[in-house]
Order: sequence, then structure tokens, then C-alpha cells
Amino acid sequence: MAPVFAKKEPALPAPAGVQKQLSLVRVNVTGQPYDYFRPWQKKAPFSKRALGAVLPQGRVLVTADLVANENYVELERAESGEKIAAKVEVVDYEANLALLEPVEKKFLDGLSPLELALDTVVGDRLSAWQLEPTGALVVTEGLVTTVQMMHYPMDVGQFLTYRMSIAMQYRENSYTVPLVKNNKLAGLLLRYDSRSQLLDAIPAPVITHFLKDVQTEHYRGFPSVGFSFFPTRDPQLRSFAGETGKPAGVYVTSVEPNMPAAKAGLQVGDIVTAIGNNEIDQTGNYVDPLYGKIEFTNLITSHTYAGDALALKIQRDGKPMQLNVTLDHRSAQDYVVPPYNLDQPPAYYVLGGLIFQELSRQYLKEWGGNWLREAPQRFVYLDHFQSELFPEGRHRIVILSQVLPANNTIGYEDFAYLTVTKVNGREINSLGNLAEAVQHPINGFIKIETEEDPKQIELEAAQVAAEAPALQESYGIPSLQRLE
Amino acid sequence: MKRAIIFVWLLLLCGRHLDAQQDTPPPFPTQPIPSAKPSAPAPAVVPVPVTPPRPNGKIQNSLVRITVTEAEPDYKAPWNAGAIQRGVGAGFVIDGSRIMTNAHVVSNSRYLTVERDGDPNKYRATVQFVAHDCDLALITVSAPDFFKNMTPLKFGGIPELESTVSAYGYPIGGERMSVTAGIVSRIDFQLYTHSSIDSHLAIQISAQINPGNSGGPVMQNGKVIGVAFQGYSGDVAQGVAYMVPTPVIRRFLKDIEDGHYNGYVDLAISYSKLQNPAQRKFLGLKDDDRGVLVTTVVAAGPCAKILREGDVLLAMDDHPIASDSNVELEGERVEFPEVVERKFKSDKVKLNIWRDKQPMTVNVELNTVWPYRIQGHRYDVRPRYVVYGGLLFQPLNLDLIDAYQPTDLRIRHFFDYFVVEQIYLEHPDVIVLTNILPDPINTYLAAYRGGIVDEINGKKIRTLEELAKTFSETPDRFVVKLIGEGPPLVLDPKQVEAARERIKTRYNVLREQNLEEQAAEKTPQDQNKI
Repeated sequence: MAPVFAKKEPALPAPAGVQKQLSLVRVNVTGQPYDYFRPWQKKAPFSKRALGAVLPQGRVLVTADLVANENYVELERAESGEKIAAKVEVVDYEANLALLEPVEKKFLDGLSPLELALDTVVGDRLSAWQLEPTGALVVTEGLVTTVQMMHYPMDVGQFLTYRMSIAMQYRENSYTVPLVKNNKLAGLLLRYDSRSQLLDAIPAPVITHFLKDVQTEHYRGFPSVGFSFFPTRDPQLRSFAGETGKPAGVYVTSVEPNMPAAKAGLQVGDIVTAIGNNEIDQTGNYVDPLYGKIEFTNLITSHTYAGDALALKIQRDGKPMQLNVTLDHRSAQDYVVPPYNLDQPPAYYVLGGLIFQELSRQYLKEWGGNWLREAPQRFVYLDHFQSELFPEGRHRIVILSQVLPANNTIGYEDFAYLTVTKVNGREINSLGNLAEAVQHPINGFIKIETEEDPKQIELEAAQVAAEAPALQESYGIPSLQRLE
Repeated sequence: MKRAIIFVWLLLLCGRHLDAQQDTPPPFPTQPIPSAKPSAPAPAVVPVPVTPPRPNGKIQNSLVRITVTEAEPDYKAPWNAGAIQRGVGAGFVIDGSRIMTNAHVVSNSRYLTVERDGDPNKYRATVQFVAHDCDLALITVSAPDFFKNMTPLKFGGIPELESTVSAYGYPIGGERMSVTAGIVSRIDFQLYTHSSIDSHLAIQISAQINPGNSGGPVMQNGKVIGVAFQGYSGDVAQGVAYMVPTPVIRRFLKDIEDGHYNGYVDLAISYSKLQNPAQRKFLGLKDDDRGVLVTTVVAAGPCAKILREGDVLLAMDDHPIASDSNVELEGERVEFPEVVERKFKSDKVKLNIWRDKQPMTVNVELNTVWPYRIQGHRYDVRPRYVVYGGLLFQPLNLDLIDAYQPTDLRIRHFFDYFVVEQIYLEHPDVIVLTNILPDPINTYLAAYRGGIVDEINGKKIRTLEELAKTFSETPDRFVVKLIGEGPPLVLDPKQVEAARERIKTRYNVLREQNLEEQAAEKTPQDQNKI
């Protein structure tokens, strides 16, 4: 009786009797995020428990969201409960991966490192490994239903993702759950929806990319090209773009300034037909030897590194051309509104009770899971459309986030969520800039101009200085400013 | 003119819809209305004996019950007449053979009848004047004897806080007139939810008013001191009902004296209080608690080119403006725009201002300000739209937002900041591709839905008329640039023309465009007879 599909070997580990020590450790993390509403302080500490996958060279792989804003990380042997402090070697919030190292390498002795299984395809069964409080293994098996490019929690670019159908059980350490195939690490849990029983996993190819990059002297991060695209299925759009030959490629809708594609000369309206030797079809897919059709962005995130050269074959006004792009990583600080800011204290400047900050998505996320609807909509708009609103790039949006009532701010108490344009007549494009401009009052007054009503706010410079200690005292502000 | 969303129900609808395909506010109370009847089946509803002391006289002689059949425009299928609904409201006779009621009672009406106590007839009525910005309307009946035995009611002033008032109307719970009594709880500015953009004086009363009370008089000492019009639904707050007070009513009656309702005028500025000592010193103002700072001057408003950002308003028509933005009017402290609130189109207002540390006097001729209107509900107009190649283009306004509930950040931004960021200067109509009627010629265009039209073939498109005119031409192709980053939308006019009848037939598109907000119906006077 031949099965219709090739039967894979069982993904379950060998019976307990013959089993080696599991290649897992518990990871306990205590963290403390910064409070963006009171940027001089941290929020109450939290603790998270997770599992880490033991890798060669005495390192432990976890997801980055586990160690975000960590104060203290410790590893715990599952079978003995023995604990040791660990430090974060490398963290990549965009790919959601982090590498830990125990302060003493021999702590991991006896645990055989996990190898990576890079060949997972749709239809494979993977096992999610969790631990009982006793240290015994809990194994749940699920089916890989989709392999495609998806957004990760930080929403910076897209990464290869396995989507699985799996009925997971709750265990106290359900953060970084390893997904295993033939005793090899196939992925790490990215997110799980218990209602639909769908699990998204960071796949081994992304983990491999991360680990290879870690081997280099300076971790660079995943590369990006810096353009957006649209399918060319519409024959009218193809004809408008002057495309000749067989229908293929994607229409370039925007090119980010100062990014690799722009530097290589890519233009809006170009049609990108191939990357290297991989032809791109009308929807933006290429044929991957392992997965079949998948979006071409996988060629960049999974297969290339910052600094690599990439040949973009394009059509411009019907003429084929080739652009050689030198890839680079786009760091969070290269955005007008940085997409995330973790482990770093937020910058702020308090002036007589007015609190100035730089707009960041981390700040907007203080409004909780529904921040897109609940955060000040003007700021959400500025964040969302930052590339088209600020094509010159390279500057920050300084906001007056709130006002602490004080003698200096009488009558200003209700002002909040304003965009600062000028201080003392000087253009403002960063907090450092503002701090400098404040030092140059006009006839003894500090004049702040905002995009929105009230448009102008004035303070008396001498009074601000005189009352600064009292302000710090009454609101418990250790320092009135923190610039980068 | 601030926009705020509050959960206010309008009292008109009482759940008698002939056509239930539209979602309408559910009948108001979830709990049964306490009945006056004993629980045993009574033989009949015995008419309430009406003899006891009645401070307001025999209101039946002045009150009418208005039954309205309305067609609510369908912004998702704007070529249709809209869902037919029926509702009941109240009205009362005033001088000049006129009946006063709420605008929302007669909005979008297709057919209007009134009934009165002790008369078996239904009389056809017509709308004379409707003021959607203050929720008032006047209707009349042309049947010759209708007003003969009716007593016109007179208007009083603003009632005292805590004084007793009675509200009359036809709320749910029975067919005949209902009276409830309460006291005056609060006198303040309120958002009038009928337009949902206008705020005027409103008086809160504790008398129970329910759907069907709308348009009914609220009386004290035999005089009308308000028209019941809105309240909170029971799950938000109980016993909070509002009436339109007589200053608003008198303004309406005066505005229409020339045979046309112009509506409220507005300075179209925003301002900020001037309570900060440092700011006052910076501006060179005296420490006398006077003045407000002008922060935005709307270019389409009457103050454009007269006032500037940074001016300080010191007095309006010689009423000193305090630094908290209040003026004293007839012994009451009110926000200074109230001075303008009482004026009419083309009236002048004198402003004493402080500019560059110098006093100045300017005069402003007041006018209505159109850009605000897209942020309020519209009535008695047909939706404007253009269908081209199965693509439905509609100008952005509150009714469109309500119909489609878009989550698109750009659409929401253009709506919210239409006036404040003066988007209307470049895009008097913000034309949204709201929907696509699928056809082979547009099958790849779904991703363009929700886009806002910027240019066609390199030409800026400012209004729906310009869009329609451009689409009436036949270039080789139309390249529609939408606002923001994204691919252009490319259409071939020959293909569109070939698909035209097919799309019209398949989707029953009765008309491919409506460019003007013409009134939904103009009723000739001679149709008044039954």
C-alpha cells in the first residue's frame, strides 16, 4: 500500500530511554521597558520564561522579543534546575532572533547542540518542543501549510515564514518554542493564534542567515534594497510602462532616497524583471528550487547580505537595462520615524513643563495593541506615510507630547501631541537641535512654533531656569533632558 | 465648529419602517415602556379624562402628529433612490399658518402628512423651510380649513434653571398625545447631532422625551420655550434630553423672513486662550485678562486676508473678550463666537485686534463657510458620483465615511484635516475611488480602491465636474495619478466605452453620474391636496 505522498520520517525524538540530553534550556528574562509617557523613568519590571535552543559554540538561540529591554537573563538546565546568568551576544529585532551566551560556557556541557534543518517544505510535519515543570518533554506535531513572505512583529520588511496548523498546549515557558524536524531545528515560534490554531515560525533559512552574519566581525543585519513595487497583471499598466516582450516583472512605485536602489539609479515606473538569474513574474514571484513560486524579496532577505552586489534586470521605457545594486542594511535610526527603539532610553527634553520627544513608533505603541486606531491619528499618519511626506529623509519629527502643569505652563495645560516646527525662529529637525535652539531666547522669551494650533507658545527663559529645580522636585524628574 | 462623535440618538424614528433593509437606530428602550394599564386585559384603552389643571392650556389645539415617508440616500449605490422608511414626529402651529418641527423629522422626506386631535383626516403637508444646522423646519398644509380651529402658540424666553416645563409629542407607547414634565437641568452649548457639526445653545430638561417627541413643543406658562430634539440613548445616560431654545428658534424665523434660509455664519478662525503670563508679555499685552490668540484663519472664511495668525482679538462689537474667550452678553458669560451666532449672512462684525503690539480695528462681513459642510451630515440632496469603466468615484464627506467606514489612514486624514490643513484649496472635492463594479475591463484594478484622484493625464483634478468632463474626452488612454506612492491607474477609453452598457445593465446603474446636489424632490405647491 503505497502512500500518495512520500512519508517523511517521524519527527518525534527517539524514545526516552535512548535519548541524549535534550538540546534545550529554560531561559528566564527580567526586563523593564522605558515609559514613553514619562520618558525619564522605566515601567515596572516583568519576567518572561522561554525555551532556548542550544547551538554549537555554547550559544543559545531565542526570539528577540523575549530579551527586548532585558535587565537580567539567566539560563536554567531543564533536568537539574541549575541556573546561570547569561548575556545577549547579538539581537536582531527585525528578524526577531537573539543569541545568548552563558557566563560560563561549560554550563551547557552535556547538551548536544541542535543542527538546523533547512529543507522544510509545505506538507512537512514539525514538532513543537515544550517542557513540563518536571523537565519532561511535551511534543506537539503540526503540519506546515504555507511557506511565504510575511511581516514580522517589528513590521520592517518581509521575511520567509512557515505557517503551520497545530494544536499547541499552554506551558509556562511558551515564548521561544523550537520547532523540530528529525531532531533538527526547523524553526522558532513567531506567533500563535489559539483560536485558529495557526502558528507562524521563523524558518531555519532565516536563522541560518542570522547565524552567518553573526560570524562576521560586526553584525550587519538583513539587507534591503529600498523600493516598493506593484504587480503588472493589468495589461493597461504594462502598456503604459512601455513593457515589451512577454508579460513579467513588477512595477516600481517608489524608491526610497539614500537607499541601495536609489543609489543604483532605479526609478519609479521601471519594471524589475529579474534579480540575478531569477526571473520575476507579474505578481512578483520567482521560482525557488525548494518552495516553487515565492515572492522575490526572499532572494534578498534569505540569500544575500549587506555589502553584496545584486544585479537588477529592469525595463525602462521598453528598453532592458541592468542595475548593479550594493545592498545595505537599513537601521531603525535611518528612518524619519524609527520603527522600533528597544534597549535604548528614549530621548526627551523638558522645558518649564513642556515635554518634547522625537516621534517614534515605539512611542505610538504606548497606546497598546490597537495603537493604529488609538494613538493620535496625525502622528500615525506621519509614521505611515513618512517616506512620501519626508522624501529628503534624514531628520526627526520633534513633538510636544504633553504639558506638566507648572507656573511656566499656566494656560498651556491642555496642549498635547503637537509637531514642533521652530524654536526661537530656528528650524527644528531633531531633539538635539531643539536643545540648542532653546539656548538662544528672543528678548528673554523662548518661542516655540507648532504645525497645529496653537501655532505658538512662549516661555520666559529666566523663569524657566529659576523654576527648573522645583519642577524636577514636584514631578520626580531626575534629569530634565536626555539627548542621544 | 468642532466635530465630535457622541452617542446621541435622534428622537424621530420609532421603528415603523416599511422597508427594513437599512440599519436604523433600534427602537429606543429595551425594557418595555411601563404601561398605565392594569395588567389584566383591559377592554379598551380608555381615553384619559382631560380636565385637571393644565397650565399650558389645551395643547391639542396646537399640536400635530407628523408622519413622514423618507428616502435615505444610499451612498454605496448612489444611483438608487435609497431605502424608504417611515417615521413619526410632532409639530406645533405658530403664527402665519405654519407648523414648526425638527429638521430631522422632515429630512429626506418624500411624502408628509399631518393629523390633529379629533379630526379623522390626514392632511398632506409640504416643507417650507428647513434648517439642518439648527435642526428646525417649518411645514405647512394647504387644505383651506386646516388652520381654522387651531391655536398658534407663542414663544417665551430662556427658562430659569430648575423651573418646571412640560414636553408634548407622540412618543412610542401609544397613538395619542403624550405629556411629560420635568425641570430645566442645564443651559449650555451642545453639538446638534442632526448635522453633527454645528454647536448651538441647547437646554437640557429632565422631562422624559423619547422617539416621536421630536419636533414637539416644550412649554412653560402657556408659552413655547423650546422644541424637543435630541437626547442620549438609555445605555449611555438616562434622563438627559435636550430642546432647541427660543434664541435659536427666533434666529431661524428671522433668517427666513427674506424667503430663504441662509444658515449660520461663522468667523472660520480657530483661537487659543491667552492665560499664560509669559505669552502675554511676549505679545506686549497688558496684564488685564483680555484677548484671545488667533491660531488659524480659514482661507475660505470671511476673515481671510483680514485677520492673521498671531493676531489677538480684544473685543467683538465692543464686547471685551476675556482671556478665557468669554464675553458678557445680556448679563451672561458666553464664548465670544456667540456674538456671531446671533448674526446673519452679510451682517458685519467689528473686531478690535492687537497686531505687532499695536491696536487695530477691522470689520468683517460674515458669511457661511462651505468647507466645513463636508464634515457634517447632508440631507435633501442626492449623492454626487461618477461611474466610469465600472469605477465609482465619489467626493469625500461624512455620509460617505458613514456608509463605507474606511480604515484607510489617508482617507481619514483628508477628512479630518480638510479644513484645518486647507486641503480644500487644492481639492475642493476629495474624489475617492470608493468601489469597483467588477467587469473584465477592471478586473486587475481592485488594489486601487480607496485611492484619491490627484491628476489625470498630468492635469490636476479638483472637482467631480472636472473628473466627469475629463472622462468625457477620448484620448488614447487615461493615466489617473492617485495621491501618494503607488502605480497610476490606466484606462483605455475605447474599452470603457465598449463595456459601458454591459456594466450599466449588469449592476442596474440607472445613471452614470450625478454632479449636482440638486434637491431630491421639489414639490409643487398644488400637490398639497389629498
